[in-house]
Amino acid sequence: MSHNKRHNTFIGIAMLTACFVVANVHSEVVVVVAANTSVSKLSKNQLSKIFLGKSRRFPDGSRAVPLNQNEGNLERDSFYQLVSGKSPSQVKAHWSKLIFTGRGQPPKEASDDAAVKYLLNNNGVNIGYIDRKAVDDSVKIVAIK
Amino acid sequence: MTTQLGTNTAPQKEEPPLPSDTKQVTASTKQTKFGVVHSVFFTIVIASIIVLWTITFRLIDNDFASSRLTAARSVGALALTYEAQVVRAIREIDQSLNVVKRSYEMGNEKKVLELVNEWGLLLPDFLFVTGTTDADGNVNNSTRAFKKTTIADQSYFLEQREFDHLAVSQPWQDPYTKVWKLTFSRRISTPSGAFAGIAFTSVDASYFVSGYEVAQLGQHGVLGILGTDGVFRTRRSGETIISGERADYNLLVPDSDELEEQEVQLLNNSWDQVRRYTVATKLYDFPLAVILGLSEEEQLEASTRLRQHYLQRATGANIIILILTAMLYYLSRQLQKSRQRIMDEQIAHARQVEYLAYHDGLTDLPNRSFFSHLLSHGIAEAKRYERRFALLFLDLDRFKIINDTLGHDVGDELLIEVATRLNASLRETDTVARLGGDEFVVLLPDMNDEKQLSAVARKILKAVAKPFLLSGQELRVTVSIGISAFPLDGEDEQTLVKNADIAMYHAKEGGKNNFCFYSKELSADSLERLALESSLRLALERDEFILHYQEKHDLRSGEVTGAEALLRWQHPTLGQVQPLQFLPLAEETGLIIPLGKWVIETACQQALSWLEQGLPPRCISVNLTARQFTDAHLLQDISDILQTTGLNPAHLELEITESLLLSNFDKALETLGKIKALGVRIAIDNFGTSYTLISTLEKFQFDTLKIDGSVIRDITNDPSDQQLTEAIISVGRTMALTIVAEGVETQAQADFLLASSCDQVQGFYFDTPGPALPQQTAPKRL
Repeated sequence: MSHNKRHNTFIGIAMLTACFVVANVHSEVVVVVAANTSVSKLSKNQLSKIFLGKSRRFPDGSRAVPLNQNEGNLERDSFYQLVSGKSPSQVKAHWSKLIFTGRGQPPKEASDDAAVKYLLNNNGVNIGYIDRKAVDDSVKIVAIK
Repeated sequence: MTTQLGTNTAPQKEEPPLPSDTKQVTASTKQTKFGVVHSVFFTIVIASIIVLWTITFRLIDNDFASSRLTAARSVGALALTYEAQVVRAIREIDQSLNVVKRSYEMGNEKKVLELVNEWGLLLPDFLFVTGTTDADGNVNNSTRAFKKTTIADQSYFLEQREFDHLAVSQPWQDPYTKVWKLTFSRRISTPSGAFAGIAFTSVDASYFVSGYEVAQLGQHGVLGILGTDGVFRTRRSGETIISGERADYNLLVPDSDELEEQEVQLLNNSWDQVRRYTVATKLYDFPLAVILGLSEEEQLEASTRLRQHYLQRATGANIIILILTAMLYYLSRQLQKSRQRIMDEQIAHARQVEYLAYHDGLTDLPNRSFFSHLLSHGIAEAKRYERRFALLFLDLDRFKIINDTLGHDVGDELLIEVATRLNASLRETDTVARLGGDEFVVLLPDMNDEKQLSAVARKILKAVAKPFLLSGQELRVTVSIGISAFPLDGEDEQTLVKNADIAMYHAKEGGKNNFCFYSKELSADSLERLALESSLRLALERDEFILHYQEKHDLRSGEVTGAEALLRWQHPTLGQVQPLQFLPLAEETGLIIPLGKWVIETACQQALSWLEQGLPPRCISVNLTARQFTDAHLLQDISDILQTTGLNPAHLELEITESLLLSNFDKALETLGKIKALGVRIAIDNFGTSYTLISTLEKFQFDTLKIDGSVIRDITNDPSDQQLTEAIISVGRTMALTIVAEGVETQAQADFLLASSCDQVQGFYFDTPGPALPQQTAPKRL
């Protein structure tokens, strides 16, 4: 099982790398938190759980409130691909099921990187993702293990 | 009944049943018992096979039944959950639309969506596209850039113009993404209630089947929403999601007004021909029904596998049972066979033993005890059915001599051959048995006519009389037959046998090679004879014999020249018994040998006694019988007697008859020569009764010739006898023999003999035979 997961992860990374070769000019997604947040390091699995509604806490026990970007945003697709290996339609199917069966509500959405940075500092959400180029002092990059 | 030769293994087929026959009954009972055991055994095997399969099918049935029940129950439970999910999802949609509608109606036409979004009451926009239109169907608000700017032609839009309820669109396909969508809408009214547009939200049709879990529903289950119009809004089986299909709503969905509990139906689903446990429930307040189904094949797969497993195991068990059965059957057959073999051997052995006990080992004929059994059986039958039968008692003549001279092997061969000939000359129904020695008996059922019996007896005589070729020699044997008939000559076994025996003796006495019927006269004779025979054996020991002496006189001088010793038997109860009565018996039984010895010895002693008394020497004459003459010890006995008594051999004269010489001429000649060599005189006795050749007389060197009394008797009035006597005397004289005339009873006879120059005479005229005179012997004894 774990072997399989790792395997998938590997394929995911490979595909992502391939994407970057094409989209390198534009963007590289990084996970960010508000600058004053203590979280500095998360695994892909932890991120995947948080952004797929399966976990609501960081490893240190504090509450995680994720912030998505709008559907169709490149950052969103890249992010999910990176942490969970899921395609946009897979992500959509996942949330459909969660919502339909009443077991979860999707995270709030921001329209772009700037909105993410803004909302992280003002709206109770505490983790999101943006293009590396958009990173500034208002946010802190979380290292992906 | 004829007993066959050489059938040692089994009793004769026609012989009466012997006690052994009970064993066969036991054997057959055992066989039946085995049969019963076998059938019980097979019944058990068949019963166990039936039980095995019954249990197997019962288990399979039970498992299937429980699987069906489980499937039906889980269909019910899953359907309930699904119904709740669908209802909740649609309510959520309705709620959100209502909020948009209210907000719009309250005048927030431009910013209605932003407002509702701020309130957090907008449906997640990555799944739902929410918007509003004006009264003409132009989209004036939308969470997405809407491709179509008017939806006035859509049926739900038209529907909302008429009704104020949640409208559910037909599934429609996004022209770009080809994804099937559903649109839900609410009517927007002016404060006066006039149609002002709609609030709508579109969502992927698959949203409503996103809860499909393969783990619960399998690859071939079904989850779907069917409109009351019979169109599937969406339907999912495994990963296949389809919208817009038609189905028979009435067939699938029971009338919910009448139904209190959900109904699980096992249906061949019309859309994909999969047989499923299906539950369809009409949703309250919405024109929709949820459908959930579980594939029968998938649900019963475990049971199917289990059934196969059970069947395989049962088949295996069945095969094992059959193999074990076959092995047990084989073993029991072997056991039965070996038991049977042992039993057969025992029976065969018992029969063999019995056969040997009831048959004569030499000739294979029934033996005395079997014959006794047959005879008593025959008597019983003859009595009951008033039948007659006859008994033949056979005894071979001269068998003892053959046995003694040619050996026992030849004797045995002869007996076997005789048995064969007897069987061959008799009817199938006649029985021949050997009583022992050379005695045979023949049982002739249904026969006692003298003529018939004579014919049978003659046939037997003829058969036996044919020459036997034994050990390369030709032998001639004769048989004597005595016949007794039932019930005339006896009504019991012993009497019949005894009387046949008596008759046989008479046949023997009558010259052998003959047969004789029993009669009462014979019986009287025989009784005497039997008494004699038994007492004869004791007579010598008891000193019952005495010798009488008849003097011989010289015709011219009248002097006593000698005496002939005559044997007399003084029987304690019968009185004086005549030699004619007991001598043949003694001869036959062989008692003559010791008796003859006693006679010679006693006579010799008497001769000595006379000498001692001072009387002139007298020649003592003693008769020799045929048996004595052929006895191998005769010469030795004579010389022993002469030696012990010391008598001058010349004073002993042995008399033999003519007939003695004729049976074996050369042997007789040799014996006579040896006797003469001892110095003993020899007389030929009873001369004139047969036709002895003169040459014969010349060959034997006799000393004395005795003319038979029968010739002398009529000598005075029969000229032929006179001539015969004269001729004999003249021949005797020529040969220088002493001539003695016997049986001289009158003066006339004596005169004639004197005239004929006869030497000596003896007879009543001169002397009555009597014991040695007391006055002559008394002094010696005292």
